[in-house]
Parts: sequence; structure tokens; C-alpha cells
Amino acid sequence: MSKTEDLEFPFCDDANKYEKLAKIGQGTFGEVFKARDRKTKQIVAMKKVLMENEKEGFPITALREIKILQLLKNDNVVNLVEICRTRATPYNRFKSTFYLIFEFCEHDLAGLLSNANVKFSLGEIKKVMQQLINGLYFIHSNKILHRDMKAANILITKSGVLKLADFGLARAFSISSKGAGRYTNRVVTLWYRPPELLLGDRNYGPPIDMWGAGCIMAEMWTRTPIMQGKTEQHQLQLISQLCGSITVEVWPGVEKLEFFGTMELAQGQKRKVKDRLKAYIKDQYALDMLDKLLTLDPSKRIDSDNSLNHDFFWTDPMPCDLSNMLSKHTTSMFEYLAPPRRRGPIAPNPNQRPVQNPDQHFERVF
Amino acid sequence: MGDSEAKVHFHVVRFIHEAGMKLHLKSIPLSTASLIYHMFFQKNSLREFDPYLIATTALYLSGKTEEAHVKLRDVINVCYRTLHKTKPPLEMGELFWALRDSVSNCELFILRMLQFRVMLDHPHKYLLHYLKFIRDWFEPYKWDNLPITRTAWAILRDSYHGSVSLHYPAEHVAIAVLYLTFESLGVEPPHTNVCRSPWWKVFAEDVTLERIKSIIIEITKTYELEDSVS
Repeated sequence: MSKTEDLEFPFCDDANKYEKLAKIGQGTFGEVFKARDRKTKQIVAMKKVLMENEKEGFPITALREIKILQLLKNDNVVNLVEICRTRATPYNRFKSTFYLIFEFCEHDLAGLLSNANVKFSLGEIKKVMQQLINGLYFIHSNKILHRDMKAANILITKSGVLKLADFGLARAFSISSKGAGRYTNRVVTLWYRPPELLLGDRNYGPPIDMWGAGCIMAEMWTRTPIMQGKTEQHQLQLISQLCGSITVEVWPGVEKLEFFGTMELAQGQKRKVKDRLKAYIKDQYALDMLDKLLTLDPSKRIDSDNSLNHDFFWTDPMPCDLSNMLSKHTTSMFEYLAPPRRRGPIAPNPNQRPVQNPDQHFERVF
Repeated sequence: MGDSEAKVHFHVVRFIHEAGMKLHLKSIPLSTASLIYHMFFQKNSLREFDPYLIATTALYLSGKTEEAHVKLRDVINVCYRTLHKTKPPLEMGELFWALRDSVSNCELFILRMLQFRVMLDHPHKYLLHYLKFIRDWFEPYKWDNLPITRTAWAILRDSYHGSVSLHYPAEHVAIAVLYLTFESLGVEPPHTNVCRSPWWKVFAEDVTLERIKSIIIEITKTYELEDSVS
């Protein structure tokens, strides 16, 4: 055993080279810390790889995340710096822990949106959305699905650069392979989950991330997730109330999805995406793009390429830099650190929900 | 690498392929497993590590990285059976748990050694693309009567007994495999004599005849090795 302790591994640095400063989040497979490189003083985020109860060795989800992040190098995708490990000692029963080391981003979108002092102008909202969709365009053209789009997974640096993060559920997809039952449909946080996943589609693709982008886009104005379902059934009901009934007419082929017969689907609902959101969103182009993102039929939902060409991004006010606005805020805003308003399941009755940020001008939409 | 070491690696890669086929792994995971194995022994010595443990772990790991996950239990049972053909199958017990622990520890060790760089570019997709392309140059009946695809695929698979794919870009290996296929079948792509540039220039601008030849020499060495071991 002592031989194990003294072994030097030239191939993988000791996590001890970083000094942990604070816990800043909870990823899909482990805790996230803010840390500082003891030598270079560079600030990083460390994501712990949970290894306990792993009968199958190194978790395949972590391996996927590493593989995907090594492949995806883009301004709008979080940058993986390296992978570190702790020393094997008798205290950890000679099992070392692995950490993914990321460049540090000061904020996440959920944290920013939950702070009423953070105000986005229309041009700034456009910049956020443009970078978000640009990131999706990049990962989708590399045949990767994110599968966990939500405001908390959208990081923003203090200089205003947006980064897609948490690829813990991401995986590669292929366009050509046929046959159902290929991927699990138990992905994506419920409030951001598109109707095809709720109906049991296992042969999905990039449109699932575009739906999430639509939910996030609406949230830029409403400041709170627009469809906060309590169960999968409830989520479908909320979707129908906003996007209209799910029928074969608006979505040919939906009847072939596994849960189409078993899930209760509201009939006779009209589509009111624009109607219900126009109270918050005055810009016609924004409403139009949102309408196209929140399309029920995934094959008709707008893709990242066409979104980037949408008039929303090419009309005045044009997308503008975020660094000015963000420079007013010197503390990090992470959902994890924010008051508990947005975390965890929401209160069952909307009326009993505590009033959050009393000085906030925004009302809940739904 | 000494000749005797090359022979050991030849046998172990054959073991990887045999066990991998039994586990229903396809070309890409099998190729990844072989390359992980070769990468490991480029940095480490056979005197310090048991090649069959490394091979078993490489198989298991490649299943994960290539989205063709196989259960650790199955990998261990199949590899044990492949290695000990005359012994009775592995019983659930101390030996099984010990083997399972060594493979999962070894997996972490290999990952660290590779610095988690598990994305490998294999020549397969390039070869497939080139084959589809070049087929259209041939007269259909001529192409159908020649086992070009089968031969090329077999040569590529065999090349993993050595580590040629570690040393050259995947496109170049694919071209060399195709070149060797034509040579061994004694055919030339149509109009070779009248074309101003050779056929392989179409596929990769930066490849040279010299490069192709040196890849082919490395591949044929594996066949010479086969003659000397069997």
C-alpha cells in the first residue's frame, strides 16, 4: 500500500494545486467549487466527479462530459482547463477523487435573473440570446445534444461572454440511424422539457435544446421560469395552455409517440404564446422568434441556424455588449447562492408562494 | 520496440479482437481498444504491467468512450474465458471480485495516463468515404467482381495489430490502406495513366507517395510478424 501512496503520476495533476474558496453549485454528478491556483492565482471552477457506488468504474456520464468538452472549443461553450485528482491515502481508502477544472465564470443566468437589480435592456437581451443560440449552433453542428438547457446552466463572465455549461447529460447524436428506443427520454429539467420528451420520444434531436432556449428566452423578460410543472402530466398541461392542444393536426406523427395514448392531453386549447407574453415583451420580433422556438412539433421548431438569421437579431436595437451593465455588479450571482426562491420544487399553490424580491417589477406570468 | 515485444503485442491485440467480437463490439470500439492498448505500452514497459489486464481494461473503456457500453461483469467473464480456454468458466467469488477491482482501478490509471484524451480519430470513416467515391470511377461490373471493399476493410482491421494509426493522420492511413488494396489485387483506378495527378491526391492534399509507402511498410511488418508467430 505504501507503494501506492508514494507513486508519482506525471500525467494528471494533484487537485491540491488549487485552493478551494467556496462551494458555488451542485452539478449533475457532483459539487462545484470556486478555487484558485496556488501558483498562478488563476481563478477556476472545480467540479467533483462523484465516484461512490460506482460498480461500473469511472462514470460514463463524466467521461462523456470530458470527451465532449475536449471536442467543443468555442467562445460560447465553457472551457475545460484540465482534470485533476486527489492523492490516494489511507483516509480515502486509496480511492482518489477526480475534479474537472473549468475556467471561472462570474455569473449564471438564473442567478442574474433572480436579482432585481440586474436589468437587461432589449439590446442586452438580444446579446444573451444570440450567444446562447450561437453556442447551440456550434454544439449541434458538432453533433452534440446538450440535454439540460436551463438558466442555471448558462454561465456569463463578467465581461459579458455567455458560456453553455454542464454537459453532464450531453451526448453525441447521429442523424442517419433509424429505429426507436435509442436514447433515454429522462433528460432535461422538467420545466424546460419539450413536449416530445414528455410524450416518450426516444429518437429526438437538436430541437429539444431549442425548446429550452425558448423557455430561457421568455425568462429574460418574465424573470422566472414560464412553465413550472409539478409532474410530467402537469408540465404537459402547462405546455398545452400556452402552446395550444397537442393534436395530430398541428403535429403529424405525434400519435406514434409512446405516451400519446396514456398521457392526458388537454383538448380545445388555443395557442396563445404571443398573447400571453405580450404583456412582458413589447418587441414584435422577439415575440415572433419565441413563437417559433416554442413550436410543439419538433420538426417544425426553428433550428439554431435559422434562429441566428431571425430579424430579432438584425433590427434596432442591435445586440449590444453586456460588460457595461455587468460592471455595476461586483459580486458573483449564482442560482445556488441566491435566496431559495428559484431552487428546488416550487410551492404547490402559487398564491402561497413567498414574495421574492419585493422590489421586483415583474409579475409572474403563470 | 524489440521483436519479442512486438510479438507479445500482436498476440494481445488478437486477444482484444477475439474477446471484443464475443462482446459484440463493432469496428470502432475494437479499434479504440487496440489504440488505447498501444498508447499505454508506448509509455510503459511490459515488464511492469500485465498486457492482458491492460487489454481487458482497454476493451471495457473503449465501450464507454464509443457509446457501446458493455457491463464490467461481462467484460471480465468473456476475457477470462478467452484467456483460459481450458479452464472452467469463472465462478462468482473472490477471484471475480479481485479481477473486477483490478480492472476498475486500472481504468482510472489508464485514463490518467492518457490525460483523459479518449477522442480518437480512426481511418474507418475516411476509408468508407474514399471507397464510396472511388467506386464511381470504376465500371460497375468491374467493381462488383473485385473484393476491394472487403480487402481494404480487412487490411485496416489487421493494421491495429501494430500501432500505425497512432503515428500517422487517419486520412493518410486510409489512403495507404486503399493503395495497398489496389496493389495486392493488382488493379489500378481507371485512367491512372492519363491523369495528371495521382488518385490519392484527390483525397488528401498533404499526403505524399513517400508517406504512403512508409505506412504500407509498417502495415506489412505486421503480416511478417504473423508469419513468425504462428
